[in-house]
Amino acid sequence: MKASHVWTIAKKELKGIGNERTIVLAILLQVFIAMFSSFLVVGLTSLYDPSSLGSMSGGYAIGYAGADSPLAELLEEKGDFLVYRMDLDEAGAALRERKLAAVVYVPDTPPDGADPVKITLYTLKNDISASVTGVKIREAMEAYEGMLREARSSRLSTEPVEIAVPADAGGQTFFIFVYGLLVPLLLFMPAIISASLIIDFITEEYSTKTLETLLSTPLTFTEILWGKVLAAWVLVPIQAAAWIALLAANGIAIRSIPEILLHVSAASLVLILIGALVALHYRERTSAQFVYSTALVVVILAVLAVPGNPANLIVLLAAGSPAPLHRAALVGVLAGTFLLAIATDRYARRLAGKTVQ
Amino acid sequence: MSKDVLPMTVVLLVALLLASGLIAENGIRLQDGIYTVGTDDAGAAAILAGDPRFVVSLTDSAALARSQDAYDLVIADGAVRGNPTEKGRAALSAFAVAYRNYRNSVYTGEDDLFAAYPLWIDTVEVTSSLDFTATDNGQRIAPKPQGETDVRPSGPVEDLPTPPATLAASTEELRRDLADAPAENNGIARYLGMFSSGPDPGEFKTPSQLSPPLPFDSLIYIFVFIFPLYFTSQFAMMSIANERIERRGEILLSTPAGPLTIIAGKMLPYFLMMIAVSSAIVLITGGSFLILLPLVPVILFFLAAALLIGMTARSFRELSFLSIFFSTVMTSYLFFPSIFANVHVISLLSPLTLVVLQFQGTGFSAADYVYATALFWLSTAFIFWLCTRNFTEEQLFSQESLTSRLCSFIFAAMSREHPFASLAVINVLAIPLVFMVQMMYLVLLFNLPLPWSLVALILLAAFTEEVARSVGIVALFRGIPDFFTWRNVVVAAAATGLGFLVGEKLLLLVMMAQVTGSLFGTVLFSGVGLLWMPFLLHTAGALIVGAALKAGGRGAYFPGILLATAVHASYNLILIGGAL
Repeated sequence: MKASHVWTIAKKELKGIGNERTIVLAILLQVFIAMFSSFLVVGLTSLYDPSSLGSMSGGYAIGYAGADSPLAELLEEKGDFLVYRMDLDEAGAALRERKLAAVVYVPDTPPDGADPVKITLYTLKNDISASVTGVKIREAMEAYEGMLREARSSRLSTEPVEIAVPADAGGQTFFIFVYGLLVPLLLFMPAIISASLIIDFITEEYSTKTLETLLSTPLTFTEILWGKVLAAWVLVPIQAAAWIALLAANGIAIRSIPEILLHVSAASLVLILIGALVALHYRERTSAQFVYSTALVVVILAVLAVPGNPANLIVLLAAGSPAPLHRAALVGVLAGTFLLAIATDRYARRLAGKTVQ
Repeated sequence: MSKDVLPMTVVLLVALLLASGLIAENGIRLQDGIYTVGTDDAGAAAILAGDPRFVVSLTDSAALARSQDAYDLVIADGAVRGNPTEKGRAALSAFAVAYRNYRNSVYTGEDDLFAAYPLWIDTVEVTSSLDFTATDNGQRIAPKPQGETDVRPSGPVEDLPTPPATLAASTEELRRDLADAPAENNGIARYLGMFSSGPDPGEFKTPSQLSPPLPFDSLIYIFVFIFPLYFTSQFAMMSIANERIERRGEILLSTPAGPLTIIAGKMLPYFLMMIAVSSAIVLITGGSFLILLPLVPVILFFLAAALLIGMTARSFRELSFLSIFFSTVMTSYLFFPSIFANVHVISLLSPLTLVVLQFQGTGFSAADYVYATALFWLSTAFIFWLCTRNFTEEQLFSQESLTSRLCSFIFAAMSREHPFASLAVINVLAIPLVFMVQMMYLVLLFNLPLPWSLVALILLAAFTEEVARSVGIVALFRGIPDFFTWRNVVVAAAATGLGFLVGEKLLLLVMMAQVTGSLFGTVLFSGVGLLWMPFLLHTAGALIVGAALKAGGRGAYFPGILLATAVHASYNLILIGGAL
């Protein structure tokens, strides 16, 4: 196998991508997503945890009906709400007209009674503002629960370990969403795309019947294969680096970038080799893509269940957390890749032998 | 697909089951060890022992005091402190949740349930109706106190029954619900639980179980309804591309069946499949079959796009990238507006909002339906017409690049005898696509602060219109290079301007009343009243591009477009300057 031959094939494939402007489309797509990432992050973060919408401006009006209780003061305490005491029917009508954000109804159960206090909370259905106010209402309710629990504390048998948590803790899900979910997702996307690209590279030669032409040149079958693998592979660190730059432009700093690129490249080679094996076996795009995408789901699920998997390590490295085992894991992944590469090479040689006969 | 896919599928499905079992057993190990905690308190360390996100180091107080900054969190003297970094705050937030769960697990073991959980909440959701007049100028409705001392409903007051003071559930039931639904805030799981009959958190909740209502129901509808449609349209795309790449289409084309018959025949099974999948989803989710009404134009549009992509892509990789690009853009177009269902009139741009409204029980009117789907119907018709005109041997098996293919598609659809009339007609027909792109900008940009959103909208809208107008001229220019004398350039520009004007006004009459009323509408559609001003503007734009092509050849196309955009944008800015 000659390196120059492999490089020739890799250049041919990369040129093909360049000519078809497909890579331009891919980069446009990245920029498109990045442009709206502020929108995306707000939307997705609140999907991940709706309480992250918790910052309110101004304040909201709340209708209060029923018996007097400390809850009204608790709601007004932080300046988040203005509480209006009103009749339940009128409060319900005002809520439907969106003049109120929510309505609470409190019965006259005594604080230290045997029965629980049952509060009815009326909110707007399917509304962003209801999600925002819901967080603050919960805080007030939890404070009221603490007061009631205090009044009934003589009836409790055990006390939990007391640790004072600062009052403003909570709702900080942006960090964990970005570093713990978005970063590994975006960085592994190029790997997944490249692996499905190699299937197209290989099956195309079969479907357009250009393989014979290629083989009539001094190139061997394995050289052609590794050239294609190389072409798909070099795109991964480039695209991953583009994501890191785009994230940085959006104010999300990624730490230990070289190590992360090493991990992504090593892990992506495994996926690309799996794609190449599948494509060599089926030689037809529809079947190969189908089998590959199913296998991809299996591999991803199985890998994510293992502690210290590459995605986990990338999260730790990106967030600047200690990842003591990441070098050992990298060596492990590389060893696995090496074995898979040998298997692919053997399989390709066998196929080449058959083609010659 | 070849035959030996089936055994492999069985093997993979078994492997999938095993892998899901592994995940269920081990959990997703993505965020393991992201936070570091230092403590001198064994009790506190025990609280966090079960949470893999935290790496806890148990040391003595002196060592802890020395190396405080090394940890994200420090627990000492019965209090927790976070590092003043973003990560430290996130760790503190995660600790607050873990600590709350720990307290709840202690309280759940209590004998006297109502001493441990003295407060229970019954949540009632009230549906509110859309108010178009208040949302017309890009403002959201949100209940904000106006400084008045009293809030009074202005409409009729209905009787709300006074809720009973006691819980309508036994202590055992409440205890079971507490054990089933721990007070944890696992966002995604709640969405996944929407359609499954998993453990119900119970009718009554303690304050810590009280999770804010889900804001983005529509996201679920995107996943559930739109993704199966993508997959099916992928197959349609591949089937068209296969005809071309393996030249099987030649046999089909040699039969007496016309292109329309072939296309209809090829698309029908996919259409039926998509309708069947959507109906099945409607049956499973228990919705009304009215939901299919807004989905039909979306399905047809997907098929039209699949046909166009299948006919223009030169290879499978180009096909893959085009389809990924198309699906991302379409997801944004369908998804972003529907986030604002109930909040903003912009949401009605997406047919999915109608699905959301139907699921909520609000329903939609015929006018809403026309407004949300008209662009889909018209664009679909245009793309199908274009593809039918080009479903010939010559066009299907050429290996030109993407842009020149599109140009030759347009050129093939024109009549050689009446080039100017064809130009006008092409422009009339392209209007729905142009509007769709401009609506896309509106969807993406209206969230920006006001002056920026207007400026960006003006520039992008002008650019898109100029590109769309130039397409017909470029196609003619490439098709018949010596056609363009200076006289013909002027006539072609006038024909383009006329076609554009007629198409624009026709479409505005049909459906745009709601958007044109607002400030954004003025930007996009440059005033409805005067006719000769927009006509001159459209003609001038086309003339600039035509003259650039005539004088400088194909290299001058891009500068020409930029110049035309600048002229167009400054006209609009002056117009808006008056409006502002």
